[in-house]
Amino acid sequence: MKRIVAAIILIIIAAPVLVFAEQASVVTKENAVREYCRFFAPVVAPVRYKDVLDIVCPQDDWYKVRYKATEGCIHRTAVEKRSASFTGSTLPGRGAGSVSESEAALAGKGFNPQVEASYRKKYPAMKYNLVDRIEHENVSEKEIVSFITGGGLNQP
Amino acid sequence: MMKRIMASAFLMFFMLHPASHALDLRGITKHLDTLKSVVGATAKATRPISDEEEYFLGRAVAARVLGTYPLANDKDLTKYINLIGKTVSVSSGKPFTYGGYHFAVLETEEINAFACPGGIIFVTKGLIEMTANEEELAAVLAHEIAHINKRDGIAAIKSSRWTEALAVIGTEAARKYSLSDVAKLVTIFEDSIDDIFKTLIVNGYSRSQEFTADESALQYLAQSGYDPEALISFLKRLSGKGRPSGGGITATHPETADRIDNIAGKIPAGQADPRSVEIRTARFMEVQKPVR
Repeated sequence: MKRIVAAIILIIIAAPVLVFAEQASVVTKENAVREYCRFFAPVVAPVRYKDVLDIVCPQDDWYKVRYKATEGCIHRTAVEKRSASFTGSTLPGRGAGSVSESEAALAGKGFNPQVEASYRKKYPAMKYNLVDRIEHENVSEKEIVSFITGGGLNQP
Repeated sequence: MMKRIMASAFLMFFMLHPASHALDLRGITKHLDTLKSVVGATAKATRPISDEEEYFLGRAVAARVLGTYPLANDKDLTKYINLIGKTVSVSSGKPFTYGGYHFAVLETEEINAFACPGGIIFVTKGLIEMTANEEELAAVLAHEIAHINKRDGIAAIKSSRWTEALAVIGTEAARKYSLSDVAKLVTIFEDSIDDIFKTLIVNGYSRSQEFTADESALQYLAQSGYDPEALISFLKRLSGKGRPSGGGITATHPETADRIDNIAGKIPAGQADPRSVEIRTARFMEVQKPVR
């Protein structure tokens, strides 16, 4: 009887260490939670850098995730697992109180917008205007899908 | 009595921990690893760079490249190489980078292509004119995407830069830097850009980096539905051009014959559908008309 009571107490004490909510934060400027786990699948929720998603389960190269009120898929290279988040102490959303190891070491550090701004100020002749133009000249997902299917290529 | 104790224990357990979260024992190991790594952050930071930092470096490298070569103002061609490049990139090992993949054409007869860290890839008009079809152009872009996947540009930065950077940024979480910190970081940023730029334009990557990029390109091509043999046909045509005394792809890459030898036995199985290749070649010729 004593052993059982001791075991139960141990479970209660140890439980906070054992229970983790698997979460991931977005590591790209912009991305999307998609209806199903395929590239170019319909978007159910747009996400941005550092948004935090609850991982439901992995599925091949994707994670099934929960974000705000929606569920869907995001590619695993678009997120980074947050491995030190405790259940009950964090909620999905920006600025949740948990960090992953590389986030702790790297996020926003070193070469960041502040450094770029100073560099540009120092070298005003650098062709950043053209770089911005290149980044803004985008093709839509619809066009990519049409290009893939029209050319008999594989849609991943 | 026993049942009551058990029921109370389970009740307490579920009150403490919402049922929506799964019990994940694997998390314990990861948690311990995290604690260990935070403690050892200083040692780890000898080569620290996030995707976000890589993006800012890449933008600066791209700005430098655009100071050397003019940007082509051909919207149709730019859109076309973006469609090919983005098609290949989703079949690569890293379909997403912080700022995404962007492809642009440089207005020069020089035969070359450059991958800036983070995802901006340049191809010259000279190179595009040299390719025979969409498959070969895809092969060139796949090779450049592989350099980004492997972070070869970042590897070109001298390791001493990381030590210098670490002295400024320390190991704490992100913060706004003081003016003197920013000035130091800008100098390190500048030096890092120089390292990458020299590698891209003058010295080239190592033989093993180039061979690996070729091997990865074969996989990306096959996965996206392009004919991987196109990389060999492109390299054969390139070897016919010889080694120019100035810049260009042959000046910054290993001997083309060696590159062909390296991948000759590594072509993934399967064959591209000839009818689809025909369709792709037709659209290539259509976009190419103004270039040729």
